[in-house]
Amino acid sequence: MLTRIALAALAAACLPAFAQTVPAGYPANYAGTLAAAEKEGKVVVYSTTDTKAAQPLIKDFEALYPNIKVEYNDLNSTEMYNRFIAEVAAGQGAADVMWSSAMDLQVKLVDEGHAMTYVSPEVPKLPHWAVYKNQAWGTTYEPCVFIYNKRLVTGSDIPQDHASFARILNTESAKYKGKVTTYDIDKSGLGFMFFVQDTKYFAGMKDLERGFGKTGYRVYSATGNMLEKVSSGEHLLGYDVLGAYALVRAKKDPNLGVVLPKDYTLVLSRVMFISKAAKHPDAAKVWTDYILSARGQKVIGGAVELFAVRNDIDAEYTAAKLDKELGDKVKPIPVSAEITTYLEPAKRLEFLKDWKAELAAGAK
Amino acid sequence: MTSAANPSLPANPGPGGLAFARGLPRALTIALTAAAVLAPLSLILYQSLLSAPFFDANKVLGLDAYRFIFADPDFWRALGNSLLIASGMTLIAVPLGGVLAFVMERSDLPSKRIIEPLILVPSFVSPMVLAFGYVVSAGPVGFYSVLATKLFGGVPWGLYSVPAMAVIAGLMHVPNVYIYASSALKNLGSDVEEAARIAGASPLQVAMSVSLPLIMPALLFSSVLVFFLGLELFGLPLVLGDPEGHLVLSTYLYELTNKLGTPSYHLMAAVAICIVALTVPLVLLQRKLLQNTRKYATIRGKAGRVRELPLGRWKWAAIALVCLFLLVTVVVPLSGIVLRAFVTNWGLGVSVIDALTLDNFRAVFEEPTHTRAIWNTVLLGTIGGAITVACYTAIGFATHRRNDAWSRIVDFLVLAPRAVPGLLIGLAFLWVFLFFPPLTPLRTTIFSMWLAYSVVWLAYGMRLISSSLMQVSPELEEAARTVGARRGRISREITLPLIRAGLLGSWLLVFMIFEREYSTGVYLLGPGTEVIGAELVSLWQGGAIDVVAALALINIVLVFIGLAGALRFGVKLRD
Repeated sequence: MLTRIALAALAAACLPAFAQTVPAGYPANYAGTLAAAEKEGKVVVYSTTDTKAAQPLIKDFEALYPNIKVEYNDLNSTEMYNRFIAEVAAGQGAADVMWSSAMDLQVKLVDEGHAMTYVSPEVPKLPHWAVYKNQAWGTTYEPCVFIYNKRLVTGSDIPQDHASFARILNTESAKYKGKVTTYDIDKSGLGFMFFVQDTKYFAGMKDLERGFGKTGYRVYSATGNMLEKVSSGEHLLGYDVLGAYALVRAKKDPNLGVVLPKDYTLVLSRVMFISKAAKHPDAAKVWTDYILSARGQKVIGGAVELFAVRNDIDAEYTAAKLDKELGDKVKPIPVSAEITTYLEPAKRLEFLKDWKAELAAGAK
Repeated sequence: MTSAANPSLPANPGPGGLAFARGLPRALTIALTAAAVLAPLSLILYQSLLSAPFFDANKVLGLDAYRFIFADPDFWRALGNSLLIASGMTLIAVPLGGVLAFVMERSDLPSKRIIEPLILVPSFVSPMVLAFGYVVSAGPVGFYSVLATKLFGGVPWGLYSVPAMAVIAGLMHVPNVYIYASSALKNLGSDVEEAARIAGASPLQVAMSVSLPLIMPALLFSSVLVFFLGLELFGLPLVLGDPEGHLVLSTYLYELTNKLGTPSYHLMAAVAICIVALTVPLVLLQRKLLQNTRKYATIRGKAGRVRELPLGRWKWAAIALVCLFLLVTVVVPLSGIVLRAFVTNWGLGVSVIDALTLDNFRAVFEEPTHTRAIWNTVLLGTIGGAITVACYTAIGFATHRRNDAWSRIVDFLVLAPRAVPGLLIGLAFLWVFLFFPPLTPLRTTIFSMWLAYSVVWLAYGMRLISSSLMQVSPELEEAARTVGARRGRISREITLPLIRAGLLGSWLLVFMIFEREYSTGVYLLGPGTEVIGAELVSLWQGGAIDVVAALALINIVLVFIGLAGALRFGVKLRD
């Protein structure tokens, strides 16, 4: 009898290695999806999250589903978009899953009919703004932050909210001449998206823009460049920087300080969708469900060092912790059609023109 | 390309069919070259005349793209800066490269064998990496700048202005001039120079009024090439131009991928076509200047012996020049990269000792894509480089000692791809591989990268090959002809064996160029086609600067090993 129980226990322990069990709470027919996914054998992911950061996710996924290999490609958001539309047009769709921080470009691709409709069993656990037409999902909860050089900026010079950032620029412009940095609005789609959102929540945006003009701000297209230069002391303050990267660097870099703005903190969510032209559609579903599952989210909030979007996760970086710290000051950028407004060239050029006019006015 | 004395061999008379069969390899070579160059270029031209991506159903034919960029003040600013930088760097690189070549080839300067590979360093380190090295070492809070502030109370230089970029770019391109100038000097007997010296000319006078004018074709060609490279300069302005917002054509092109929200291929293509249009008059000018090439022909049958000129009291001036050049272009940026690769952070008030780490290298080797990139890059440079040299040689033979229309077409074909910024030509190659069915299976293989690299660097490589070919004096080939050998046989049995050493040298130079290339590969990058150069751009954008520095250093060390090994085993940089 005892041996039989031991054998049964052993069999149960070994079971996941041979055939996948349907995760708890998933519909019974998910077994079919799993079987098909294993038959497909791999999933091709195009992503803006670099491979090094995503490695824990890939490893954990492959441990959970040993028969599905992840072919992971990291690209920057425009390269990714370029490759995707060209490959689809050539009938050689290579990506099964698209995962990008360029939320607007992702939603645009969805609106243009490139995404597959899929009701993920994890959807009820997600915040409502993170689900778009059952075709795209927000997967992370990354604050947009201010950064400063800890050695050279102290006390009341550390901006705590958007108004104080604008005030520092306008009242101490001599001290900060050439020492303030943010994204290049012409070159960085991410920066542009943040600035558009800012105009929604911050009434003093014009003061800020004039302050940028007054201090002769320096702009970059890449986050790493801003972190590097604020850390080295070439620049002192950075505005609207992707927080996940800044916090990770700040952990091992004693020069870099990070502020979550107190008046409101924008939150970006990396958007994932499954390509309609996916060659491994079932594997893509399994991967997406994994990313949205408690297990995947725990890795995102832990080893990947992005923020888990789900509220029921306990990890180092989570939406729950941010919400607790900032309350209703957290303003997630919704995964919705609204954010593609400024992909319309004429509207975009108009925004750029106004922005530059304020800069010029400030520089006078 | 065929610039020195080259009396055309008379066409081989023979039965029509046979003559056709013998002309076939040449026709095939020219046709393949034309296809490889014109496929991406014509796609770009076509794209520039549309209103949306060429594969989009809603595209309309028209000139809107040109209208948009001509109305955009950013375009004109970028164009102005590009012209300024390209002419500035030509003015710096050509005289300096020429003088350095003269000193290295002709004078009794000590330790030339050590100096020569060092002079070439800037040509095999990616400009983006070099520029970043300058930021770390000589930027506003770089460690030399901090030192300078302590010593003089301020930093007497700046990195981020347009003139500064022109100077740095000029210095970086000195090796490109140096290679051509020194190989031309090698072919030149030194008897004329000795005559001038005996008549009382100083070494500088000899260089300026005898040697350099004699190698005018090489200098003119390198001027045109450097100017082209100046127009498509990307990595340097990406790093040094951003902080003060100086746009050049290629960074403007980059801006266009985002300015309208979604990538605007038609605008990017229109900019590229404008650049190509700019280069046409340059090529024509070069041809016109070199029309009477016979007057430069100093190698006739027997080359004169080369004797070293004693520099006398000019020796110290020469040594100072070489050292200053090496200090500014090699020591300063490389020390910046080395430092950055071994620290977690740096800058004002940071103790470097506390920040030392090996984690950056660990991060490189932990990541399979990076190790694959290292492996692919080596493969592409060595084996790929050899195949490339073989292809270039075939093209070289197709135009060697022929002055017909076909040769002139090849001359332009060879230069044109380099006029298009690498980023866009790479994208065009991606399109070719996606939409031309016979090639699609090769897209995710390293072949796509190899083809793009080989086409982009045609101008550079072809010049190396043709200068080797030029060294074989026509008498030898004519002698073979007299005893009845046909063209193909002459090429195989006379010319090819004679230029073997030159080909090995070209292989080495192509290897170095392929190791450093970066912008062309950005769009072709994928699983299976990872190369270090393009990975660096992608990592830079992603912000992993620690890894960029470590990977860049590994790349530099690899090239050094390749270079040292090749030189050790008797490969000469120039024959």
